[in-house]
Amino acid sequence: MMDNFEKHIRENKDFFNDKKADKNKMWDAISKELDTVESKKVIPLWKSTGFKIAASIIIILGLLTIAGPILLHPNNAGIETSYANKEVLDIEFHYKNLVEHQVKLVQEHPALSKEDKKEFLSFMQDLDDEYDELKIEMKKNLDNERILEALIGNYKKRIELIENLLKQINSSKKINEDYGYTL
Amino acid sequence: METIVQNTHKELVEKSKLGDRNSQYKLYELYVDAMYSISMRMVGIKEDAEDVVQDSFIDAFKKINSFKYESSFGAWLKRIVINKSINHLKVKRIALTPIEDHEYHLKDETPEPIEKIDLIKVKLGIEKLPQGYKQIICLYLIEGYDHNEIGEILEISTSTSKSQYHRAKKKLIEIIKGL
Repeated sequence: MMDNFEKHIRENKDFFNDKKADKNKMWDAISKELDTVESKKVIPLWKSTGFKIAASIIIILGLLTIAGPILLHPNNAGIETSYANKEVLDIEFHYKNLVEHQVKLVQEHPALSKEDKKEFLSFMQDLDDEYDELKIEMKKNLDNERILEALIGNYKKRIELIENLLKQINSSKKINEDYGYTL
Repeated sequence: METIVQNTHKELVEKSKLGDRNSQYKLYELYVDAMYSISMRMVGIKEDAEDVVQDSFIDAFKKINSFKYESSFGAWLKRIVINKSINHLKVKRIALTPIEDHEYHLKDETPEPIEKIDLIKVKLGIEKLPQGYKQIICLYLIEGYDHNEIGEILEISTSTSKSQYHRAKKKLIEIIKGL
């Protein structure tokens, strides 16, 4: 339990804080030391708000560089510059060559009638139309894997169609030849 | 009023945490004289007290992110200054607890209580106290720590803190009466 002597001193403790520091001299030393510490300190950039903003701007600019030409000029040849579009173009180039080669084979095949060729080519036209629609969708949404799969599926369907047709031609030819041989 | 002060300080503390030198200076300006007075009472030499206060502010700003408002910023800073002052005395091998020699001169009976307490005489009396007594009187009477806290600061038991404080107080009253 405190007596009056103790209480009186505690109640007037500010009276004892009467010393005046040499503020400027001490602050110079303190700020100098803090500057040294800060220059040595590794600043975790990801914790800084400024860095977060800068990173966001860079990401947005990056996305605009990739998607910008497509969004601004959907029919522009500039699309070809984007990575995603390049992927589509590579796929397209690969399958287009395959299909063109096989369509040529069908067209030049002597065993097929004009009507058969016409019917086959109209099937191919339908698949071409479907492919063009998918390409438009793809431009709207480059990241859509389902559309990309559908594009590949479209080409696979054409190749399959051609392969089946050529197989049919060859097998009927073989049957005819067999017949001929038997006869 | 106290809430306004706390909020102002909180804003300064938060900005200081972000490394804002201007806010750090404002905090420094608010507390430097009080901290210097504390250190002067503890170490007694101007140059030593300045070194202690400088180091304390540097440490405080370096570790300010660990300050979680469990106490006031002033109390947190004061504890740093007190600890630094004690460490300084330890390095200089100055006894932190009363030396037996001084007890030899103490009268056994409790001194008559002072009727009119003259704060100027109290201040002079504290300055005249031997180092070991001065620490414990300052920590208890002026800094307002209890004996558990003093035990932690001086690394002594609570009962030792209590008994040594009573001896120091007797000595102080004796000195004041002689002034």
